[in-house]
Amino acid sequence: MAKKKDMDLMESGAKVKIGVSDMIIRGIGYVLVTFYALACVFPFLIIVGTSFTSESVIRAEGVQLIPKEATLQAYNMVIRGGLIWKSYGLTITLTLCGTLLGLGIIAMTGYALQRKDFPLRNGISFYIYFTSLFSAGLAPYYLLMTQTYHLKDSYLAVFLPLLMSPWLIILMKNFVKAIPHEITESGKIDGAGDMKIFVDLILPMLKPALATIGLFLALGYWNEWYQSSLFLSSRVAVKPLQYQLYKVVNEAQSLKNSIAGQFVTQTDIPTESLKMATAILATGPIVFLYPFVQKYFIGGITVGAVKG
Amino acid sequence: MRKKLLAVLLSATMVLGLAACGDTGNGGSTGSNGGGTTTTTSGGSDNGGAAAIDTSEHVKIVYMTTGGAPDPASSQTDEMLEQLNAILTEKVNAELEVYYIDWTDYLSVYNLTLAQMDGSVDLVGTASDWLDAWPNAKKGAFRVLTEDELKTYAPKTWASVPQEHWDLCKYNGNIYLMPEDNYAQWTNHGFTYRLDWAKEAGLSDGVKSWDDLTTYFRYVKNAYPDVIPWDSDGTQYATMVGGWITSHSNYISIDGINSGAMWGCTKDDMYTVYSPYVTDTDSLVAFAKMMKEWDEIGVWKTDVLNNTASDNREDYKIGRVAVEQHHTQTWTDLCSHKDGYTIYDDPNTESGFFYFGEETQNLVALSITHGAMAVSAASKNPERALMVYDLIRNDPECYALFNYGVKGVSYDIDENGMRVRPASYDSSTDNIAVNYWWGRNDDLEIKDATMNWDAIEKLYAEYDKIKIDYPYGQFVPDVDNVKSQIENINAIHTDYMKQIAFGKYTGTAEDIVAEYQNALKQAGIDDVTAELQLQFDALYK
Amino acid sequence: MGKDKSSVVPAPTQRKKRGVLETLWRYRVLELMCLPAVVFFFLFSYMPMPGIWVAFVDYRYDKGIFHSPFVGLKNFEFLATSGKLFELTKNTVLYNLAFIILGNFLAIFVAILLNEMRSKWFKKVSQTMMFLPYFISQVLVGILVYNLLNYDYGFVNSVLTKLGMEKWGPYSDPSVWPVLLVVIHLWQQTGYNSVVYFAAIMGIDSEIIEAARVDGANGFQKIRYIILPGLRPTLVILLLFAMGGIVRGNFGLFYNVIGTNSLLFPTTDIIETYVYRAAVSDFNFARASSVGLYQSIIGFIMVMLSNFVVKKIEPDYSLF
Repeated sequence: MAKKKDMDLMESGAKVKIGVSDMIIRGIGYVLVTFYALACVFPFLIIVGTSFTSESVIRAEGVQLIPKEATLQAYNMVIRGGLIWKSYGLTITLTLCGTLLGLGIIAMTGYALQRKDFPLRNGISFYIYFTSLFSAGLAPYYLLMTQTYHLKDSYLAVFLPLLMSPWLIILMKNFVKAIPHEITESGKIDGAGDMKIFVDLILPMLKPALATIGLFLALGYWNEWYQSSLFLSSRVAVKPLQYQLYKVVNEAQSLKNSIAGQFVTQTDIPTESLKMATAILATGPIVFLYPFVQKYFIGGITVGAVKG
Repeated sequence: MRKKLLAVLLSATMVLGLAACGDTGNGGSTGSNGGGTTTTTSGGSDNGGAAAIDTSEHVKIVYMTTGGAPDPASSQTDEMLEQLNAILTEKVNAELEVYYIDWTDYLSVYNLTLAQMDGSVDLVGTASDWLDAWPNAKKGAFRVLTEDELKTYAPKTWASVPQEHWDLCKYNGNIYLMPEDNYAQWTNHGFTYRLDWAKEAGLSDGVKSWDDLTTYFRYVKNAYPDVIPWDSDGTQYATMVGGWITSHSNYISIDGINSGAMWGCTKDDMYTVYSPYVTDTDSLVAFAKMMKEWDEIGVWKTDVLNNTASDNREDYKIGRVAVEQHHTQTWTDLCSHKDGYTIYDDPNTESGFFYFGEETQNLVALSITHGAMAVSAASKNPERALMVYDLIRNDPECYALFNYGVKGVSYDIDENGMRVRPASYDSSTDNIAVNYWWGRNDDLEIKDATMNWDAIEKLYAEYDKIKIDYPYGQFVPDVDNVKSQIENINAIHTDYMKQIAFGKYTGTAEDIVAEYQNALKQAGIDDVTAELQLQFDALYK
Repeated sequence: MGKDKSSVVPAPTQRKKRGVLETLWRYRVLELMCLPAVVFFFLFSYMPMPGIWVAFVDYRYDKGIFHSPFVGLKNFEFLATSGKLFELTKNTVLYNLAFIILGNFLAIFVAILLNEMRSKWFKKVSQTMMFLPYFISQVLVGILVYNLLNYDYGFVNSVLTKLGMEKWGPYSDPSVWPVLLVVIHLWQQTGYNSVVYFAAIMGIDSEIIEAARVDGANGFQKIRYIILPGLRPTLVILLLFAMGGIVRGNFGLFYNVIGTNSLLFPTTDIIETYVYRAAVSDFNFARASSVGLYQSIIGFIMVMLSNFVVKKIEPDYSLF
């Protein structure tokens, strides 16, 4: 209720006082942002165009914005056999579950670590941060995951390691920092426990932070191919979307650049249009996540709203 | 206080982690020890007679190979395996599973899988020249195959591989590999080219030398302006300079040291190690000059070094390029009149092959361990793995299934006893893929009727006249002492040869070669040569 | 932390009396809130960590990491003796500095501009568009850049030819790549990075902004005195975080755009690309781990130093 009022205030305030400087900033903003956005979308359109272009044209003239000979061949290749739809199902499931679970843990941790009265906050912060500096490298990690945790060929091997990262926790901690400490205190005065304070008072104010970190988590899950390449062997028929993409775009080149390429003749080398079509399908619906998330980017954390 | 707690936490982590990793290590080693014990006991009992082989328990044998798994929906591989496993179950009470390693990052995933050492794979495809067979044998990834074991569990393989070939599969006196030694294939490199165009260019016998190639490229560039003579992607630099040296000397390289194969001996002096990249300065300068000339002719695209988009081989089939640089095996495919090879719509079209070494008749046959099967040291059923391998290598029925698929679906046999595609065959659904490059057998091969056997056999006959066997099969280089030198030499070789082999260097040919050789010396190439010489002397003197 | 007088932190004397266990018990809920994360990092980061030992052994699969023969620094020797370690480290650090400084500057700039926009529709569409490059895999970025810039049929050169100008050959000119690589990196990352700042702006107390408006602050003043200072903690955190990876290169970008075109190496060779070329024919887990350890140690020192400095100046902004 109070928030609604604030927003109205902001909107009306903006309408009343549009100074010269605002006009300039906005003018510059529209021009530059439009320019940059176009620069971002142009290569994407090329990928779309090329995915519909016949291979002979691509090899003669390179990638195409508007296909000279349009064809659906590449898409037919990708969806042949229907495996891609199962990959969609898997990726969407992983993304949804991972984002929700990860977000919950990250938010809790971020809040606790930002509580100024929490004696372990520096210690745990360092404990978490330290892991971003030192990693043991591939072999020890792989052996641990497969031999000790027995996660080879398990989707958990893809799901678990992406749940959180030091970076996201520290980022969350930073967002929580913007919430005045008075709110926690007011909760305490009302006799609420830490968990209740967190859920009832803090979480609602963290919407932009939750949206941002949720977005990053979701992108992380959606773009995941690395863990899949390590832990999901050929026994697992359905692999995450981005792994399929990674394989299609890298396969031929990594063979050619290796010593095996001097001897092994690869058949069915993925064509450029197939790479592009796979890229489009693998990116798929996630590009529309942002507009959905954006509605949580509402300005107006106000201390007054809680106090009053 | 907080610090103390943190310290406790951290040290607890370390201890637990150590314990966990230690377990892994111990588990691995006890596993292999256990395997060793089993061997001796079974070996002992087997002296009593072959009937002692116990196959009462049904087991699954996992065979690891490089190359991507086929999509089950568009391949007949599963159907083939079902039939094969019925036979294997009947004969040795085992079934076979193919475990594929995608080409993307294949080296790391392949090695990680071996490092697991938990018996998750049994049969391992490997190769001494391109798939780390000896390094992995040294790392303890492969099981020592005793003669008793081989005689008992893989008797046909044991009998068919001559003793001198088994000797080439030994490291420290132990057999680690079962070689694919009875399969005619040539992976020596060269250029596939259009013989008809070469004749138009005035080369009536076809391309017989590097100079002829220059003539050919010039002609193609003028006569067929739409054709890019060679749409290279810039990855063939090491093959090209290697080919040049083979063609201009009696150099024989030693396998398995680095991808540039930069050390070897000459035919005339087979046991004095040298690196032609250091000594053959004039030859390298001539190479650099010729490649500059090719670049100026416009043989490849201007930005060839970044040209990853090309698919030269496919383009060759449809006449958009004039050569394809790869090995003889690839040429045997390209010279055959197959579906979709539109260049052969014109009946005059012919594909010739100029092989590296043709000028000096310098041709070394493939090492027999170019493809080989090993048994994982951690395999829980090594006996049964050997028995399965013996069948897919030597049993006609299993061999045909495993190599060609289900008869009537993936292939058929015509009136000449050759392999053809069935009428119902659809290449997008009826193929199989098991990437079996580690035990093919000419006694059981069924020739593919679509291949141009006249041309192929003619070239093979020519090869057989001049070839020498790979002379260093018994030499397993131990490069641990000079590893860092070799690693830096790898980088130097790539950095300079990319420029030299595609004529992209600035300054004179003499300067760039001198600079390259200087860098090699700085990196310690002479140390490597000396180290290899020591090992050669120890082995051969 | 004791500075915050209004907080409910018990006075030091009180705390001592109560003892450690009691303190731990008192904060049990907060500790439980941290527990999942603590367990997570224990399982997936600390457990494998002793395995870093692999960097110092001749790793034998049958013996396991801890029973393989110790070889000291031999796995790192190739890089140390290449004569390029300094140059490679320098290149890696300089590229990263450019990415970090320009990247954050642009991200803040874009976030502020977006915040000033009033059209919701425009914000949604433009931000979605800015996110697109983030989804393009590095391999495809390499292909696109090649198609844009190559000499024979590249987009730029066909435009130049049409205009009757001379062709441009960046693939044989090392001097242009530092700029091009930075531009490509910024193009790919700015949309993503700006979201962090955008969200941080949303976190600024809107009463303060409103108050400033009432006081007659104009747009520039609002940005200068309210928004920019409000973004400072976020910026500091981002910078501190980036310090840890200052000697880790963006292999995907460099490898896919530059490839192994050695003409361009004088300005584009970073640690990862060199190691890749040196390792091409011999697979070795130990080598990768030893290079990684080198990068970690430098990163660790950098972070400790910067965190120390930050703590001195503004304790609230430090990472730990």
